[in-house]
Amino acid sequence: MQHGLMALGAGLAIGLAALGTGFAQAKIGAAGMAAIAEKPELTGRAILMVAIPETLVILGFAVAAMILVLL
Amino acid sequence: MLEPMTRVRIVSRAPRLEQVLQRLYRLQLLQLDPAVGEAEPTLTAMPGDAEREARADELRLLIARLGGLLELAGPSPTIGEASVQAAQVAAELDAIAPRIESLATRIDELRTELAVLPRYLEPLRRLLPLVPELAELDEQQLRALRLDTVALVLNTSDDGLVEGLRTALLELVGNRFELVTTRVDADVVGCLVVVAHDDADAVRTLLGREHVRHLPLPERYERLSFHGAVSAMEARLRDLPNDLEVATTDLQELLAPRAPAWAAARSRLLAELAQLDAVEQLGATARTFVAAGWTPTAKLRLLRHELELAASEEIAVEALETRPGVEPPVLMRNPAPARPFEFLVRLLDLPRSGSLDPTMLMALFLPLMVGVMVGDIGYGALLLGLSVFVRRRFAASPVVRDLTRVFIAGSLWAIVFGFVFGEALGDLGHRAGLHALWFYRGGKDAVEPLLLFSLAIGAAHVVLGLLLGLWRSALERRGGELLERAGTLLALGGTFGLAGIALDHLPGGALVPAVAAIVVGVVLVIAPGGALGLMMGPLSLIGTFGNVLSYLRLAAVGLASAYLAIVANQLGSLGPIWLGVLVAALFHALNLALAGFSPMIQALRLHYVEFFSKFYEGGGEPFRPFGERAPA
Repeated sequence: MQHGLMALGAGLAIGLAALGTGFAQAKIGAAGMAAIAEKPELTGRAILMVAIPETLVILGFAVAAMILVLL
Repeated sequence: MLEPMTRVRIVSRAPRLEQVLQRLYRLQLLQLDPAVGEAEPTLTAMPGDAEREARADELRLLIARLGGLLELAGPSPTIGEASVQAAQVAAELDAIAPRIESLATRIDELRTELAVLPRYLEPLRRLLPLVPELAELDEQQLRALRLDTVALVLNTSDDGLVEGLRTALLELVGNRFELVTTRVDADVVGCLVVVAHDDADAVRTLLGREHVRHLPLPERYERLSFHGAVSAMEARLRDLPNDLEVATTDLQELLAPRAPAWAAARSRLLAELAQLDAVEQLGATARTFVAAGWTPTAKLRLLRHELELAASEEIAVEALETRPGVEPPVLMRNPAPARPFEFLVRLLDLPRSGSLDPTMLMALFLPLMVGVMVGDIGYGALLLGLSVFVRRRFAASPVVRDLTRVFIAGSLWAIVFGFVFGEALGDLGHRAGLHALWFYRGGKDAVEPLLLFSLAIGAAHVVLGLLLGLWRSALERRGGELLERAGTLLALGGTFGLAGIALDHLPGGALVPAVAAIVVGVVLVIAPGGALGLMMGPLSLIGTFGNVLSYLRLAAVGLASAYLAIVANQLGSLGPIWLGVLVAALFHALNLALAGFSPMIQALRLHYVEFFSKFYEGGGEPFRPFGERAPA
């Protein structure tokens, strides 16, 4: 039971973080593509902006990995 | 590395202007800047020359005409005589242009006909069975019967619109009309209205008022019966591709033999035009002209030597002091193995002049990080093969050449880490007896060492970035920034010390120095910002710790790739062998596609966000030498 809850917690940690990242990236990505259409030289900065929210899912992964190590 | 640049001033006698500009154009070593300005108060702009301006206008027109013709001719090699004259080219174009224009117009008309005819044909074909009596009557016979027909297309999916049209016609002409309709597709309804000849104008007025698109038949089909028109259109559609091919072949036969010489003439005319335009950048005294601009310092002697040859020694090329506040243009020059990575640095921003060019470091770390994430001998070998294939197939594109070099380096590291992790197409290597040199990522105990390995790479990378930033701050004597970066380094070191103690890698006695380093570091980070530093300092420190943690993506993406490969192999072992091989191949192909894309993006992000933010200064202006090849 305890192991099951821990595994569920690990899944929630990465799943919810991924949802948050996806939500942020969707908005930034759309704005980034619009900016690139106007100014192609902004491609690098757009990639950078899109990549910033990924830290959320990485932190989710870190928490999930720590839970799994404890299992 | 950024090439050091020198500002130069070139002074020569006015009669030497043409030879000097020609040599500068060929050398491509000088970025021309306006020579007349506050620093040169005695200079005036080059006097306007009506003959020069007229010549420039003539060249622009010729270049545009040649450009249009070359676009029609398609790609061709640039071969031609070195001494072709603009007048000669213009005369040739005048002679041949009417034939080309006539053929190009015919091709356009044929293409339009090919696209438009089916739009008439399809509704007619469907309507004819609905009015079999009318279908055989031509225009004269219809007139004899005092009947008129109007074909319509309604772009609607709503059948109510057809009923609305019927009601409107009923109100207008009573029962003296026949309306037949057929749905051509989901959004298009074809209609045919048959009315008494006397009512035809009133019906057309009604349709115009309601903005209904009337579909008059092309002129050549107008006088035929509907059946005759359909047959004629079908015959025309059969003939059109052949007519189009004949016209296209005629045009190509006319253009192809002349295109290489035209391309050569165009590039020579572009060069001449650039030299005429460059005169506007020059300054003048009574008997001399003066050019100013930037050249790579290493090429200054070559520039001087070449210009002395061109102007028979009647020239002075002097290096000037760089004025404060004036930024030289930026030219990146790195050793050949690192050069493809310049493209990736430029993708973010060009480094500011005098700052650090991170290309070499990127060439070192980026493929390594891609290798850590892919970490599979099989995928590495496949990516290597694909990169070599794409490189050979699209060798003409510089972007593809650069990108494939980056991928080749990443693939080689993927193979190296494949041996480290003992992976070849997931656990296939493991099953075949391949032993990991360090640990196998699919194993139960792999998570902890993989996380620590990723964090170690992150810590090393971020610390390197901070050290470079510290060095730049010291060089440029930016005290506040220096203190902040030193403090961040100390706090980071102290935190690593604490982590080492917690993991029993460091003795307990290291606790006091570690805590002291953190405290001193925090104070140093806060101090330069004053009151605002109390808030921003700790936030900046947390951001740096976040930067190190961000490298956990090396483990995350790597684990995802490894487990997807394992799942592919497990699915492959279920069911019949042929199905298993097919399913496994599909999953491995998917994983390979992800391995070719995701690790590169993640590694780029780690460089742009986590690494560059510690020292990189962008905003440089690219070096644009006079004579740079104009885009075709």
